[in-house]
Amino acid sequence: MRIVATDRLLAILSLMRKQVSTGGERGGRLCTVAAEFTEQSGAGIALASERGGLTSMCASNSVAQRLMDLEDTFGEGPGVDASSSSAAIEEAELVSPTSSRWLAYSPAAGAAGARAVFGFPLCIGAICLGALSLYRDRPGALTDAQASDAYLMASVAARAVLAMQAGAPQDAIADELVREATFDFAVHQAAGMVSVQGSMSVGDALVALRAHAFANDSTSSELAVRIVARDLRYDPATCEWRDG
Amino acid sequence: MARESLLISTLVELADSLVDNFDVIDVLTVLSDRCVEAIDVDAAGVMLASPGGELQFVASSSESMRVLELFQIQADEGPCVDCFKDGSPIINQALKVPDMRWPRFTPRAISQGFQSVHCLPLRLRGRTIGALNLFRTEQGPFDADDVIVAQGLADVATIAILQHRTSLDASLLNDQLSNALNSRIIIEQAKGKVSQSTTCDMDQAFGRLRSHARNHNLGLTAVARSVVDGTLDANGLDQVRKPKS
Repeated sequence: MRIVATDRLLAILSLMRKQVSTGGERGGRLCTVAAEFTEQSGAGIALASERGGLTSMCASNSVAQRLMDLEDTFGEGPGVDASSSSAAIEEAELVSPTSSRWLAYSPAAGAAGARAVFGFPLCIGAICLGALSLYRDRPGALTDAQASDAYLMASVAARAVLAMQAGAPQDAIADELVREATFDFAVHQAAGMVSVQGSMSVGDALVALRAHAFANDSTSSELAVRIVARDLRYDPATCEWRDG
Repeated sequence: MARESLLISTLVELADSLVDNFDVIDVLTVLSDRCVEAIDVDAAGVMLASPGGELQFVASSSESMRVLELFQIQADEGPCVDCFKDGSPIINQALKVPDMRWPRFTPRAISQGFQSVHCLPLRLRGRTIGALNLFRTEQGPFDADDVIVAQGLADVATIAILQHRTSLDASLLNDQLSNALNSRIIIEQAKGKVSQSTTCDMDQAFGRLRSHARNHNLGLTAVARSVVDGTLDANGLDQVRKPKS
């Protein structure tokens, strides 16, 4: 159970709550928060689809959307690379005569207004949901503080996306992110156990666990402790949760 | 084995691993094991700073729930948090209740049989990136030599995390820390699958991941990742470490 959240996490959550109160469509808020928090010109989030490849979920502005469309068209770019390698990607000088990265994407992205682009994978352990991509209209690397913030934003975005997939109401997501521990070994162990119990991916298992918590006004942590203690299990025959 | 020999072989083993098949969780687990063997402590573990600024558990000499739980509590309060914030060691803290500094941590640690705790910062060029946490089941001060050895092992841990690069490149450090933290999550996910598939407990599940990795000369996190994504059967892991031929 979280008791203390760090300043930077609280700053993200405060931005998220502000977004909810000013309206704005669902996932779009997450991208607007991401751009503002990391101090970049724009942000986009794309999610991995089952067929392979990424599908755009939100963008903070039209340029960010265009950049994601370009990645989709050319099959290359910071989001694609971050997602496929599960590692952070940085291109601080996008428009440069010596750059040979992304031969199709780079000039088109430059024409759209980007001068530096960054990609961060959205991963919770081995569950990789997609990527957060950032762009800036001036060249240059992220500062140390901006890079730390971008990693944190990616981690929060991954958890927020999972919460949305589990059916959390939009305005409850910020509260939910504060409440649950950032690292809770029982939750991750339980996801592994449920994936075997239900013959599903660990990602689907984590979503199912979260959904069951929402439906029962409980937390993932509380349910996870019971699952690990073999006090609660997922029954694949009925797709229901059972005691013992 | 005499302590010097143990330390020398530890350093050689770690130097080897830095070059060959480096796995940060495995290296820090070995380090934690060696702390318990070389100095007068009963449990050891490493916590690292997340990008958000809080500490997260990454490796320990014991995977039993009772020890892991103590590291989980220390994301919020405890000797590691204090040590990390100040960047200075915490030595010979006897655990007594009530404890105003650590109201959740101390009673739990005592109930798990620990009487004193020490914490050494993982520091490189003025930046603290985590902490090495040591527990004893007995009271009494830490031997002065033990403190030096522990700090030395903590320094080795820090270098291991940075993979022996000499320059403190900020973006590299962020990458390495993020990678280490995420690797621990992968291992927990894999432990869950192994435990459920084979009905062994979580502690044994970790042992199997490790034995399998060693026997097949694979990285620990790579094995865990394969178990999670299904390319390696959770039921098909080697259960014990095979002796080197």
